[in-house]
Amino acid sequence: MNLLKKIYFTLPLIIFAMIILILWRGLKLNPAQVPSPLINKPLPHFALPTLFDEKKIVTNEDLMGHVTLVNVWATWCEACAEEHNALLELAQNEHVFFLGLDYKDDVDAAKKWLAQRGNPYQMIAVDYAGTVAIDWGVYGTPETFVLDKKGMIRYKQIGPIDTDSWEKKLKPLIAQLRNEPI
Amino acid sequence: MIPELGHFAIILALCFAILQAGTPLFARFIRNKLAMTTAISQFIFLSMAMLCLIASFMTNDITVMYVREHSHALLPFLYRIGAAWGGHEGSLLLWCLILAAWTVAFILFGDKKLSERSRSHIMMILGLLNCGFILFLLLTSNPFQRDFPSAPIEGNDLTPILQDPGLIFHPPMLYLGYVGFAIGFAFAMAALIEGNCSKEWAHACRPWIVLPWSFLSLGIVLGSWWAYRELGWGGWWFWDPVENASLLPWLSATALLHSLVVSEKRQSFKGWTLLLAILTFTLSLLGTFLVRSGVLVSVHAFANDPTRGIFLLCYLALIIGGAFLLYGTRIKHFYQPPEFTLFSRETFLLFNSILLLTAVFTITLGTLYPIILDALNAGKISVGEPYFNTVFMPIVLPLLLLMGLAPHIPWGKMTAKKTEKKLGVIFLLSGLIAAIAPYSLGFEWHGLAFLGILLSVWIILSTLQYAYSLQKKINLRSLSMITAHIGIAIIALGVTVNKSYSSERQLKISPGESVSLANYSFTFRNIDETHGANYDAITATFDVQKNNDMPLPLEAEQRIYKSNHEVLSKPGILVNPFRDLYLALGNGFSDGAWSVRIYYKPMVRWIWAGGFLLFLGGLLSLFSYWRGRNEFT
Repeated sequence: MNLLKKIYFTLPLIIFAMIILILWRGLKLNPAQVPSPLINKPLPHFALPTLFDEKKIVTNEDLMGHVTLVNVWATWCEACAEEHNALLELAQNEHVFFLGLDYKDDVDAAKKWLAQRGNPYQMIAVDYAGTVAIDWGVYGTPETFVLDKKGMIRYKQIGPIDTDSWEKKLKPLIAQLRNEPI
Repeated sequence: MIPELGHFAIILALCFAILQAGTPLFARFIRNKLAMTTAISQFIFLSMAMLCLIASFMTNDITVMYVREHSHALLPFLYRIGAAWGGHEGSLLLWCLILAAWTVAFILFGDKKLSERSRSHIMMILGLLNCGFILFLLLTSNPFQRDFPSAPIEGNDLTPILQDPGLIFHPPMLYLGYVGFAIGFAFAMAALIEGNCSKEWAHACRPWIVLPWSFLSLGIVLGSWWAYRELGWGGWWFWDPVENASLLPWLSATALLHSLVVSEKRQSFKGWTLLLAILTFTLSLLGTFLVRSGVLVSVHAFANDPTRGIFLLCYLALIIGGAFLLYGTRIKHFYQPPEFTLFSRETFLLFNSILLLTAVFTITLGTLYPIILDALNAGKISVGEPYFNTVFMPIVLPLLLLMGLAPHIPWGKMTAKKTEKKLGVIFLLSGLIAAIAPYSLGFEWHGLAFLGILLSVWIILSTLQYAYSLQKKINLRSLSMITAHIGIAIIALGVTVNKSYSSERQLKISPGESVSLANYSFTFRNIDETHGANYDAITATFDVQKNNDMPLPLEAEQRIYKSNHEVLSKPGILVNPFRDLYLALGNGFSDGAWSVRIYYKPMVRWIWAGGFLLFLGGLLSLFSYWRGRNEFT
């Protein structure tokens, strides 16, 4: 039997092994995590009332001139509860402007939730109808946007922030953004 | 108590599966009895587990986590049975049960002329396969897992989309197909182990490929029909990864069916047949992996857990890797130089295999491409309908052309010249029909429709001509081929006409107004509140009228399920053999108007009718096998 034939006969095994390798790697990836097309673009325009004072309106203007984290959350979101302690710690140790976007939520429930668990946010915008979240391309809670001093989206974290994603991605990025000129 | 009984039954089934896998280790004279006993016990215990699961659903025992996630006190009786396999765990139990059922069928009805050694090898492989699946069930996906809630709670209910009679039939049919290919796989393994693949082997193997293939055809058709009725998009095929996962083994099994005929009748294509038998089951398992591991986003995907993916992938690597390794080392015993001329039926069947495998390859590539790119850190993409339509078409068209020709070509070498002229006439006639038919029915010229009608009519006429040429020699077996080929032609006709001449409108409409689409006028008569067993609905009634015929009522619903407040749009469909009128209700506006989508879908029923013909063709082939068996023994 010549070599060519041997190769031909083991070809199915080789192809199969390659597919298995790719699927193995595929298992560790999350297909639902689609990068935002808005990266390096300004945060789409918004104007929303704040949670604790309906008459006060927060807009893009409030996010200019400093590095900002925007965390999209809701009281009905279990993963948000999971993330909450990490957010409290982060708010205490890091000097960033921290905006919360209360997404499709009951205002009273949100106030109660923050009273019980502590409030990591400097300001909370209320997106009762969920329209601003649609403009921003939010498709699940929690999500966290990192904005630079010009109000551009530089990164979006999908899913809860944990130590791993904080240490590896968010923290270095925030440090870098803080050094950028306005 | 009942869930524990079910759990215990699964463990017992596992023990019997292990024993069955060890069949060849025992003394020759008890092997057959042992295989039969273990297979039947396995089947009995798995049935018992399934009954326990259904019983837990019937009593709505929410301390069973699986029941809590998929049932609700308000869920109608019928859907509680279906809900037993409406999620990952239960459907896996169904999978194991069906594998056991196939094994029992094989031991009871399998060809007795097959050597005792082959039989014990086949039983060993089947035992090994089910060991893996039952272990998977017990270790990662136990449907009887209990959890006692501290406060009384309600079940999560079955997703509204699944609350449809389709759930009762579609998964079992599909699984009968997928899992059935395990027998063909075991046959191939036995042949490789023994280094021998005789005529008797091919003959004994045939029903175990034909029957699962028929079930899979039916399962795919039922799924397509269900999606059409339920999802409200008016589509019948979406190239969703999981749909592809069912199409891939079907294509491969179709190639296998044809290759097996050559192995049986001409003692040729043996290595190829073995490879296709392994590939078909590989694709079945790959489909399972894609659905249950969460590597792809799909409407079908089950909620997932990474350990499941890892287990399945290891299982896949072990079983299929082992099979290909065996193939690579043993196939030299089967290799023989081809002994046929270019114009022979063998060549045509080889083309059939090549084209079908090309289709398998391109669809696999399209389905896995997002994972491949993502795994190589090359970005995130999704591959959709345009890709699949573009690559599938150039493969299918020559396949259809050859289908009309191949039955007329004799085995070995071309001798008959008589048929050539007749076939030429048939082809021209088909072209004529394809050119005239749309005009005479008032449709415009459409290239795709022309090609589709041409090829379908060509297949139907030339197949009928073949049937005619057989005269008295026509038997069940040739009839099965004729039925299945005509089935494919009818599917092709339905698909191309539907693609070419469908039209749709999306609009806002108030009660009393009317709109028109493709010669039909739709008048919005009224809107009403209605109630179902576990949902409230808003029902819109339209009068549909063509010219001045009697208006027909058409009702579309917007359902809100009481348990979880999920909204489901239930389209209204007016059916006749030549067209469907399909209306889906969208959002209501504050001024009393509603957004609706209206579709005109010509010949969409033909697609499913063709699918049923495939199923029928498979059954006919089985009957012919059955009769042949009784005559010879």
